[in-house]
Amino acid sequence: MGSSTSQLSKELLSEYQELTFLTKQEILLAHKTFIELLPPESQNVVDSLTAQVSRVPTEKVLTLPELKANPFKDRICRVFSTAPEKDSLSFEDFLDLLSVFSDAATPDIKSHYAFRIFDFDDDGTLNKEDLKQLVNRLTGTEEDTQLSPSEMNQLIQNILEESDIDRDGTINLSEFQHVISRSPDFTSSFKIVL
Amino acid sequence: PFHFFFCDFYAEERLVVSLINLTSRDANKIIREQPLTMQEKRKIKGTVSEFFQSMQVWQRTLKIIGGKFGTSVLSYFSFLTWLLKFNILSFIVNFSFITIPQLMESKPNNLSFNSLELLTGAGYFQQTVLYYGFYTNSTIMRKGISSSYNMQLAYIFTIGLYLVICFFCLLYSMACSFRNNFINPHIYSRGTAKVVFSWDFTITNEKAVKLKQRNLTTEIKETLSEIRHENVIAPLKQRMNHLGIHLGAWIVSTGVAIACCVAVYYLSFYNLKFLTDHKNQTATLLLPFIVCCINLFVPLFYSSFGLVEKFEIPRHQVFVIITRNIFLKISIIGILCYYWLNAVAISKKECWETLVGQDIYRLLMMNFVFTLFDSFCGEFLRRIIGTKLIKSLGVPEFDIARNVLELIYTQTLLWIGIFFSPLLPFIHMITLFIMFHIKKISLMMNCQPPSKAWRASQMMTLFIFLLFFPSFTGVLCVLAITVWRLKPSDNCGPFQGLPSIIHAIYGWIEILSSKPGYLWVVWIYRNLIGSVHFFFILTVIVLIITYLYWQIIEGRKIMIKLLHEQIINEGKDKVFLVEKLLKVQEAQKKPSPFSLSLERREVEVSLKIWWIDLESERSEFPPRPRHLLAL
Repeated sequence: MGSSTSQLSKELLSEYQELTFLTKQEILLAHKTFIELLPPESQNVVDSLTAQVSRVPTEKVLTLPELKANPFKDRICRVFSTAPEKDSLSFEDFLDLLSVFSDAATPDIKSHYAFRIFDFDDDGTLNKEDLKQLVNRLTGTEEDTQLSPSEMNQLIQNILEESDIDRDGTINLSEFQHVISRSPDFTSSFKIVL
Repeated sequence: PFHFFFCDFYAEERLVVSLINLTSRDANKIIREQPLTMQEKRKIKGTVSEFFQSMQVWQRTLKIIGGKFGTSVLSYFSFLTWLLKFNILSFIVNFSFITIPQLMESKPNNLSFNSLELLTGAGYFQQTVLYYGFYTNSTIMRKGISSSYNMQLAYIFTIGLYLVICFFCLLYSMACSFRNNFINPHIYSRGTAKVVFSWDFTITNEKAVKLKQRNLTTEIKETLSEIRHENVIAPLKQRMNHLGIHLGAWIVSTGVAIACCVAVYYLSFYNLKFLTDHKNQTATLLLPFIVCCINLFVPLFYSSFGLVEKFEIPRHQVFVIITRNIFLKISIIGILCYYWLNAVAISKKECWETLVGQDIYRLLMMNFVFTLFDSFCGEFLRRIIGTKLIKSLGVPEFDIARNVLELIYTQTLLWIGIFFSPLLPFIHMITLFIMFHIKKISLMMNCQPPSKAWRASQMMTLFIFLLFFPSFTGVLCVLAITVWRLKPSDNCGPFQGLPSIIHAIYGWIEILSSKPGYLWVVWIYRNLIGSVHFFFILTVIVLIITYLYWQIIEGRKIMIKLLHEQIINEGKDKVFLVEKLLKVQEAQKKPSPFSLSLERREVEVSLKIWWIDLESERSEFPPRPRHLLAL
């Protein structure tokens, strides 16, 4: 890691350490990975950190081995992208992503972002359509693993029965966090480490 | 007098050990706060960062396993790592306080060494620090150092201290996992929402993801059909049928377990006679071999019940298998302890503690050999059969329950054996380390991830509880009987000549009571540890506190129910008001100004009251009755 320490300045490194849940090694590894995704002419420290100059388009980020096989990879990139078109990630977006998915992140922040990832129409609540798309992503795209429409309806009915406390037909953030708090496996499975 | 003059010598090692579990940021902070010179700090930092490097490799391995097989298989390897840390602690404690002083006083060993003895533990090893019999009962004096080291007290206090540390560690881990897993016993806990929202993001292998998706679909379909059939009560004949099969399976499994115990009992007593007749070293391996065979084949037999016995809720099947296996393993350990404490200890053999230590060593070694055999041949053969010969069987799954129970069994044997063979944790440490790598290689080559959902954290809570309840408490009972009731052998060991091991403590208290400076120790011993009244009062206080906490929990459950109803009511109010507002907006299109403004003002007033109500209720407990619908 010796050559990388001379690339990111110490102030920047400590600032990132304070603002995210990542350790110094993780930030340096993230920077190394990010630089490799940039086109060759911007592969230097200054350009990689300037959000206006270098954003990595989502397609390239999705080639990372940790994200390649994930059924929610496009939603993850969309949620963390700060570009107006939501189609590219800057280095700080990338750090945000890794910070939320790291070991040290609190369950609250993880559940907050999980809610945003599962909210396919970005309207702030999980309605029946969102849940339907979620279940389809979970069961895969092959013919024999999809649920029939009646099974899908029954499943969504059950999910709403369990999680929708105020009976308004949608799951808002607090209800989602309440369900997640009863699932102790969530924190250990909502993790991506480079 | 009793002095720990090794305290400062080990301070640095203790500091390094305490820094191991922290992150590098915290560890650096603590090193900075130590009152040492720069060079000493650099040395400690070097040791700790070396450790971190090897930890990184370890963490990397765990991450690869988790990525390919998911959190459930990972939980087995984390459990193994946790037990490894326990053993490292035990080894460090025992080695520093018991073995090193003994090594300074040891007599040279004249016996020859035979490689078979690695397996049997007898012969050359008998006269080494490995076994109880080698330790002296004298007070160790060195020229030049004025204080002395009493070996008897050191032995008993070190083992006692280690067991107390284990007890509190286990209790703490159990409390933590229990708290994380059972926080909200809510009414609706079928768990479909939890399953759907907890996708495992750590899986990075494409094939594993597809497999997981297929398994998830199967699980969802099974849960849905369970719900559909829930309200359908099976006909009486079918229910009686199921009940009969379950009862039959339980009777057969208990019968087999009892038969195995009886076999081990007779074999062990026969073994004693057999060994006096045949002085061959290989003959001592007979008993461990039979016990390990029982441990290997009977659980497979239990799993085969799954073909006949069907469960409505699949999770119950795992619990039943775990119960049967634990019953088998604990009964076998129980019979062996009975044999050791009743037959070997009384048999007037020369050094019965060393014999017990050797028996345990042989059991552990044989178990290790069988595990190697099982991983290499068993899983490998099963994969060959599954892929080449009988295609429908498929690749074997990693059987988490069986492997974790194996770990619990070996850890129980180890805890019993620590008293009789203080260096056993070192050997077990090495075997665990090798087993980690063997299991990992076998897993990568031969197995596929488990198909049924495995709630990793609930299962871990159960396994830690099993490690505490039959396992650790059983060990405490066995050691209590050894220390209080059995007569140590006359010619070897630190307690030779005493009527029972606890007399070492009695003698020490007697000596202390004649010294004026230590009367407080004697007072604590006589009035707190030795008196019944103190424990009675302590028990009553603990019971009162438990009762209070139970009442608090009951009160909170009622509170949760009331708040839930309140949320539902507020949702209904919101819907009611929104409908009213829509009606008003529709009526706005009709030209009727007088009634319109009245209605609109009504809605505005009621919205305001609803908002104020909401705000005040957020800061008020208990909930007030609702006046809103009077409008």
